[in-house]
Amino acid sequence: MTTVARPLRVPLAVRFTPARASLVLGGLLALAIVALGASVLLGEYPVHLLRALAEPASADGRVLFGLRIPRAVLGALVGASLAASGSALQALLRNPLADPFVLGVSGGAALGATLALALGLQALAGPSLLAFVGAVAAMTLVLAAGRARSSPYAALLTGVVFNAFAAAVITCIKTLLTPDRLGEVLTWLAGSLGYERPRTLLVGGGLQLLALGVLWAESARLNLLSLGDDEAASLGVPVRRTRALVLLAASLSVAGAVALAGLVGFVGLIVPHLLRLWLGPDQRLLIPASALGGAAFLVLADVATRMLFPLFHAEPPVGVVTAVLGGPLFVWLLNRGEHPA
Amino acid sequence: MIAALLSLALLGAGADPGPLRMLGPAPRGELRRVVTLAPSLTEVVLALGAGDRLVGVSRFDERPEVARLPRVGGYVDPSVEAVMALHPDLVLAQPGPGNRRAVETMAELGAPVLLLSLGTVEDVIAAERATGKVLGRPAQGEALARELEATRARIRQRARAERPVRVLLVYGFEPLVVAGPGGFADELLTDAGAVNVARDAASPYPVYSVERALRSRPEVILDAADTPAGRDRIRALPGLAEARWAQVPGQALLHPGPALGRGLEQLFSLLHPGAGR
Repeated sequence: MTTVARPLRVPLAVRFTPARASLVLGGLLALAIVALGASVLLGEYPVHLLRALAEPASADGRVLFGLRIPRAVLGALVGASLAASGSALQALLRNPLADPFVLGVSGGAALGATLALALGLQALAGPSLLAFVGAVAAMTLVLAAGRARSSPYAALLTGVVFNAFAAAVITCIKTLLTPDRLGEVLTWLAGSLGYERPRTLLVGGGLQLLALGVLWAESARLNLLSLGDDEAASLGVPVRRTRALVLLAASLSVAGAVALAGLVGFVGLIVPHLLRLWLGPDQRLLIPASALGGAAFLVLADVATRMLFPLFHAEPPVGVVTAVLGGPLFVWLLNRGEHPA
Repeated sequence: MIAALLSLALLGAGADPGPLRMLGPAPRGELRRVVTLAPSLTEVVLALGAGDRLVGVSRFDERPEVARLPRVGGYVDPSVEAVMALHPDLVLAQPGPGNRRAVETMAELGAPVLLLSLGTVEDVIAAERATGKVLGRPAQGEALARELEATRARIRQRARAERPVRVLLVYGFEPLVVAGPGGFADELLTDAGAVNVARDAASPYPVYSVERALRSRPEVILDAADTPAGRDRIRALPGLAEARWAQVPGQALLHPGPALGRGLEQLFSLLHPGAGR
């Protein structure tokens, strides 16, 4: 797993050119649009598309505009955020195992949401709000630790330790909970896409665009940073500033995603790695490609949960589907990639 | 941070909706398409004689009357689309933080939703009245409510003549989950002349300390566990081995609904086998 650390041996075929970048990103955008289309068209309710578009106030129209489109948009936002942040963090921490949750964000968010559910905070969208607060608090803690020792490993280790600590506190809270509350906590922790109001989606979308914009803007410096701090500094990269900016943008993006959908695992690990196997490690291409690919992947996984409803009489959390689909696919592609024919 | 959490908790508590609440448009005309999101609510509709109006139920529903109806998901995770696809003119749901967004969305999409808490016996009685009223069967709802109230009064009266029995009601052995205070099971135990030895617990369904259970010296242990896993180990413990072990009679005592009255009578006979009819 040394993909991240070998940017100098990039074969000609995966070199960055504007034409190639447009082609790749165009293709992924088309895939994302197909996924969104499927998400809008498929579900338990038989939506008559023409009637829905002609009369938005009809039952079909309300399902289309009130359920399908907001949920598809939510899936795209969360998927894009997790995959792009995952890609940036893997490069920044020079660790292929880094995922968006590794910096304590998952622990902080889960702790916040569990507290909210345990205290019965139904008002003010308690779980989402406290999840965001918890994620930002954890991120601040981890960034402070990373600043104290100017090494990417300090942040990584603090994040891992904080996640373990948060898991222990959550387990403690769980033992104090009644079974019905426990079910809610477990469902939340597994990560699922629900129905958010347009205003929430607008705020969340704005936050994600800003954060992903920062990541993309920093992507060239991120490439140089993967050579090592000293090498990057000698090439004129402001190492500390770049690292702080990328950590901040990625963590804010993930905190927003977690607040909206809970802990949807695997997207931030699998999608960037799959794309790296295909496109090479250039972050200028990987970050936008991961955003589009992550959006498509999560939206399609969500379509799958809806397709499973007639079978289970329940929608499994989308995090389960991403792991079940993504895990085997990833192992297969990884092995194929390491033994080229 | 802690102050913020506390103020949030207070706000949350202040917004407690109470046992009954309507969401969405007011139900109009005769309601013919009713969806229930919990088996207990299905029981209420069936007891009102309105089972023919049900068009969808939860995936946990087991009554033969609704075996052929479509399933719309569970209590925590109802599928909004599956519910809306049935074009309900009323959705009956138990409120909870897990399903809050889902039922609000149903209401926003135009389905009238009646939220009914079923935590206590009073809640169940209020739910029977409210459901009867909204389904245009107020007399039947009132009769169900009166029947449960009368059964409670009668059993309480009879229990006064009996010596109080120390009881532990067990929902599961691994871990040990029992009936704590604040729920309908605890209320019915009290009605039937029992002292719930787990009344010091934190919630209606606590994971209880095994040692505390030993020390509380229950005279009767009511076994309501789904599986026997762990039962033999608990049953062999000193202080619990000497108690009288009994299976909870039927399901009537376990689900908050119109059958609670029957469950209460069975519970009384079980706890006081010597009591005359």
